[in-house]
Amino acid sequence: MPLWFVRGLRRGVVTTRYPARPDDSAALLPTPPSFRAEALTVALADRLVAVCPSRALTRRREVLVYDVGACTACGRCRAEVPAAVTDSGQFELAATVRARLIKHVPLTHDGRHLETGEKDSP
Amino acid sequence: MTAEAGTSLGVKETSEALREALARQFGRSLHIRTLDTGSCAACEQEIRLLAAPHYDLHRLGFFFTPAPRHADLLMVTGPMIRAFDLAARKTYEAMPGPKLVVATGACALGGVYQPDAFTRGGIGETLPVDVWIPGCPPSPLALLQGLLVAVGRLAEKVQELSFTENGTPR
Amino acid sequence: MTAVQRDQTGRDPGLAGLLAGLGQYGRAADGPVITADVPVTRLEEAVRRIAAHPGARLADMFASATSHDPVVLRLVWGLDADHAYLITESVIDAERYPPLSDIAPAAFHEECEIYEQFGIRPAGAKPLNRVALPPIPGFDLPRLGHAPAGPPVGVHAPHVVGGHAFEFPFGPVRQVGVESLYYGLVTSGEEVVDLYLFTWHKHRGMEWRLQGRTPRDALFHVERTEGLGAVGPAWAFAAAAETALGLDPPAQAERARAVALELDRLYNHAAATAALCQSTGLVIGQAAAEIALERLLRLNAAAFGHRYLFGVVDIGGAAVGPDAAALRRDLPGAYGELRRAADALLTTNSFLDRLEATGILSQEAARRLGLVGPVARGTGLPVDARADHPAVPYAALAPIVATADGGDVLARFRVLLAEAAESVRLIEEMLEAGTGPGRAGPPGHPSAAPASGLGWAESCRGEALAWVALDDRGRITRARLRPASVRNWRGFDDACRSQNVFTDIPIIEASFWLTVAGTAR
Repeated sequence: MPLWFVRGLRRGVVTTRYPARPDDSAALLPTPPSFRAEALTVALADRLVAVCPSRALTRRREVLVYDVGACTACGRCRAEVPAAVTDSGQFELAATVRARLIKHVPLTHDGRHLETGEKDSP
Repeated sequence: MTAEAGTSLGVKETSEALREALARQFGRSLHIRTLDTGSCAACEQEIRLLAAPHYDLHRLGFFFTPAPRHADLLMVTGPMIRAFDLAARKTYEAMPGPKLVVATGACALGGVYQPDAFTRGGIGETLPVDVWIPGCPPSPLALLQGLLVAVGRLAEKVQELSFTENGTPR
Repeated sequence: MTAVQRDQTGRDPGLAGLLAGLGQYGRAADGPVITADVPVTRLEEAVRRIAAHPGARLADMFASATSHDPVVLRLVWGLDADHAYLITESVIDAERYPPLSDIAPAAFHEECEIYEQFGIRPAGAKPLNRVALPPIPGFDLPRLGHAPAGPPVGVHAPHVVGGHAFEFPFGPVRQVGVESLYYGLVTSGEEVVDLYLFTWHKHRGMEWRLQGRTPRDALFHVERTEGLGAVGPAWAFAAAAETALGLDPPAQAERARAVALELDRLYNHAAATAALCQSTGLVIGQAAAEIALERLLRLNAAAFGHRYLFGVVDIGGAAVGPDAAALRRDLPGAYGELRRAADALLTTNSFLDRLEATGILSQEAARRLGLVGPVARGTGLPVDARADHPAVPYAALAPIVATADGGDVLARFRVLLAEAAESVRLIEEMLEAGTGPGRAGPPGHPSAAPASGLGWAESCRGEALAWVALDDRGRITRARLRPASVRNWRGFDDACRSQNVFTDIPIIEASFWLTVAGTAR
């Protein structure tokens, strides 16, 4: 099929070099959010928890428990409290231990961090 | 979310030496079977694109196979519809060991669906999962990263990410 | 799409006659949607009358029940020639109702579904298929209404097995990268004598799950009902909720939705082209189509922030407006990729030979079964909701409805290619007219009477319908989702049966480009 052969040669290589080199198209991808701890009060956190349709957010005392695995990057939390939510830009999220996808965001109260003693999972 | 103790037969339970041996075995040539336990079909389209020119998983030594007997790794999508349990277990058991299971997409990881009468809300109770790949759907790049992590060719990085920002916004 | 207010006096005499015939029953009109209360004793006669009306098409049939009210059976008819929808509502206070699928075969699958969910069945002894209930002893699922007295009688409707044919169950776990689907293949060796499908292993109980939710909450799940081609069903659902809530999306948001819908159509048609090449073993054509598909998905991400266009449709409008500059810059190249692949395919005889005369569906079958989308248009039937039921963005654009004759795989392929070209034109026009995010003003105060609404959109696979009923707090009491896949899978058996062999089945499946998720919801 000379037609296809010539077309193919002319088309050239489109294959990504990932993982040897980063891929530009990654910049277009929707990514799970990151949270601005200093802007997140308990009240704001509760609004985020209520608006998440995938149950990726829950609050335990003064910590926002964020399950990156359950997150669909739908953007509703960001639309709800734009000042406290930003794009993480991260898409390389594979985990061999499920708990590594559970993140803990300390909440603030009157502008200062609360000491919770809870750390991010190892 | 599933307890670690509930995941058996996977690489996690083996010693470091065995893990390395498996990585050597799978690292150069890996055959992948896919399993849909109730997805919306978007994850399947991203998986199909792994063989497409932009991503070409073959250059990394990964191949798709429809035959469970040839497969080393099972890529599972969907929230595990309860009526599908038996078919899922049979598919997994038809694969000879050693084998890996990759939970693919938010539904398989426990997002989107709550456990209810129709669905288990994730595959962790039914199958022993070795790698969890988030996304809705996970893009082919995210899938490649997940597969490479599964065979030990790329280091996991999510444990170092805090998803918490302090200080001035970006 | 949101209903456009229309003047009743412009209606043609045929429809007026039909409505007059139904006029003895209570009737209300809300723009292009007419609702008629039909007592069950008159239902059979009404269905006969409507089915005989030119251009009438049974688009859906479903039931609803609350704990204190009896079952209400609704039939949604597309009166395509009159640019209207007609919903008949009948209270069913007994276990049996008239056998409608004898008059309208397009209702059979719905009769089976309604039996499982509400315990009511058509009069007569016809066996009903299993739809959502798995044949696992002791396994039960929540219903939308009341459970039937007994399980479906007859696991599947009897089919004629001639000669030495045997039954070969295949699936639900099938080849790599495709959804789970169970085929009961009846064959005498190579030839397909009959084919029936079971999808109960993927039933997720979406309509049950949406009950009690707000429309906005529900929309997240509606998008993920059929994620591959999500915009059509999401828009239909949003439009239904907007009608129930009395919301009018801003014009630029409607156009943003339309751009998303046309992008949705483009990438699905590219994906179907790739699947057709794969099914015929033309790897190089598959690669070319996949290059186009990947470029289109990246275009979606650049324009709307998501490769599969999730999160664009919102209740009351559009959450995201397209990046018009990125679209204008990248759409010609991405479409050009698809166009060049298609042109090469149309001159590759080894490919065309596999498509011609394969999977023939007659126009009569398409009409009888109420099929929609490219599957129907490939038989020459010009059914397209953008032209038949034009709503705000499309009404001004007169989209060209692509049809082809022959009803075979090649005809459907030609329809896909023609539609892709038209989608590019529509996107350009929409961008010219101006697009952007936006939602309608604060929701209209719900009236004392519970509100309901019908919504529709021409998805990549055909007309997607949704109907929503809300209580006085604005929460869903009944959500009916009817993606195009629900309609079109019933044509798949017919298409596979016509002189085809096993290896033709993947080709026919690719040309239908349906999803299991869209029907097993």
